Amino acid sequence: MSATNTIVMPGERIAAIEELAKSKRVILGPGLRRLDDTVVASKAGPLRHKEPGTFWVDNYQRRYIPARGDLILGIVRAKSGDIYRVDIGAADTASISYLAFEAATKKNRPDLIPGDLIYARVLNASADIEPELVCVNSVGKRGKLGVLTEGFFFKCSLNLGRMLLRENCPVLAALTREMPYEIAVGVNGRIWVKAHSLKETVALANAISALEQSGCAEIDKICGNLGDYLQT
Amino acid sequence: MSMNSNLFEPGKSKPERSFVQLAVKQNQRLDGRRSNESRDVELTFGTDWGSVAVSMGDTKVMAQVICEMGLPSLSRPNEGKLQLNVLLGGVAFLDEAYSTHDQRSLKLNSLLERTFRSSKCIDLESLCVAAEKHVWCIRVNVNVINHDGNLYDASSIATLAALMHFRRPDVSYKDGELRIFKQNGLEFTPLLFHHYPVSVTYCVYKSSGQPILDPTLLEENAADSVIVLSFNSYQELCSLTAGGTAPTNAPIVMQCARNAAARCKSLLDFVRKALALDEERRSQGDRSVNGLVGLILNTEHKLSYNKLMGIQKQQQQQQQQLPPGENMELDNESSETPVANEEPSKKEGAGAPMDTSDWLPHDEDSQELPMRSEAIPSKAGKYKTNKKTRPRKQNNSDSEEEAKQYI
Repeated sequence: MSATNTIVMPGERIAAIEELAKSKRVILGPGLRRLDDTVVASKAGPLRHKEPGTFWVDNYQRRYIPARGDLILGIVRAKSGDIYRVDIGAADTASISYLAFEAATKKNRPDLIPGDLIYARVLNASADIEPELVCVNSVGKRGKLGVLTEGFFFKCSLNLGRMLLRENCPVLAALTREMPYEIAVGVNGRIWVKAHSLKETVALANAISALEQSGCAEIDKICGNLGDYLQT
Repeated sequence: MSMNSNLFEPGKSKPERSFVQLAVKQNQRLDGRRSNESRDVELTFGTDWGSVAVSMGDTKVMAQVICEMGLPSLSRPNEGKLQLNVLLGGVAFLDEAYSTHDQRSLKLNSLLERTFRSSKCIDLESLCVAAEKHVWCIRVNVNVINHDGNLYDASSIATLAALMHFRRPDVSYKDGELRIFKQNGLEFTPLLFHHYPVSVTYCVYKSSGQPILDPTLLEENAADSVIVLSFNSYQELCSLTAGGTAPTNAPIVMQCARNAAARCKSLLDFVRKALALDEERRSQGDRSVNGLVGLILNTEHKLSYNKLMGIQKQQQQQQQQLPPGENMELDNESSETPVANEEPSKKEGAGAPMDTSDWLPHDEDSQELPMRSEAIPSKAGKYKTNKKTRPRKQNNSDSEEEAKQYI
């Protein structure tokens, strides 16, 4: 991925992509739209490019748009019939079946109540029907998915969630040097963390929230502050 | 979308709630404050009279006072009107803000009504121009711009500051003809106050007996009960709201009340000081605050509670040293506050019936005289006529509080 310095605004025509599209195949990601033979940005933000021909706009957003295969954190909102309604921060609530948990049968139902936090995968997402979640993989094992208890949970922008999940992101590795912790990052901009003590968890959550303002480059400074905070 | 509504805000999931409960139990708060520590309050006055923006951390509230001529109500022909409107529409994640049954906005509105209207803090009779014909209708529009907990305090400070900042145009009524002097170079007149109420919010949790001051939205949503107390500068209770499921006994409420009374007083001092600074700035001809965004973002004209009151505290200490005799009762009160053990002995002294109406106003009565003379010595003469009748009224309205039933 290469970060170009171009910032695009909604409605802006992007001639560079149009030029490229004449010679080879181009994939338009989120925030870009094709109108006849022109390419127009539909969101504001820096334009990103990945070889050979993928483009997208890395815009700041807090509302999640479900996509198949995403790992997300959701809050159980209600039981209805044989499904649970789960809030995932999208425009619509998602549903998850009773049977979408490990070792669940019609007799042996999972015990979820409204307010519970679950880590799940999006099974189905389309514009017109509500998204569907699962807490098992294709062979019926839960893996890391399922209900998250204890710990602390907070919301952030979608960008921060995506950034933490990037392979080359230095943040989580840097934080690991300070203390051991568990973390679950949903691409819907929700993060669950758990460390040994309450104070450590608070410090961790604050450090991650601070990234929202500062960006990856300052992670060393934040980690330094974290150490200071924990010592006091 | 409406289905999704309130889960967008923090504090609605189980891990968050249990985490906050645990944190309170260990006497810690997520932002590192102590349980009796509040966020900094910042005031910005707008270009117009009576426009104020208040921010407490990320909570931002704007208040604007408007006046117009109107007809008085039939039952009170010689009194002006005071209206309070609360608008929660600016907070994007509260989808329910638009519905008529929105508990939150109703609750906030009723709290402001009780704090400012039922306690009769403004001299409405002075707003009468011609009985049964022309009175001033004062309207306060409270606009919530961002909600990060403790809307009650933020909006009551905003309302108070806006009302105190407000100036209405002069008016004359001769031979059935009403004339309003709007831009005549004549001095605009400020509103007349009987007293100045401000509210203070506490959250109580089942896991800990220690109530916490100035909750954030997460803390507020995870709380088992919320206590909102309004006091005026004479340390008289103006309104009390206590709901929720946490067991709140009388000592906790009393402890809150004492601390709240002190905080209300210093908040009012802060507002006065901020007003004085604003007055100074205006007299120098610098009135430019650029629109709404300027009002919220402006750092130049922002008046911070911590900064201003840092100076104020020193002055208070000096004041308290000067008249020691007058402050005897106050000092007794404040020395009792931190020591919870002394509460039972006080209860026994008050007698068997543990009724708030019995002993809460009792405390206030004993404080009233010395407090009043000490609170604003310079203005005492000005409002004396009003004040003589007021304390009795005040206590009546206190005993009417429905909150008492919940305790």
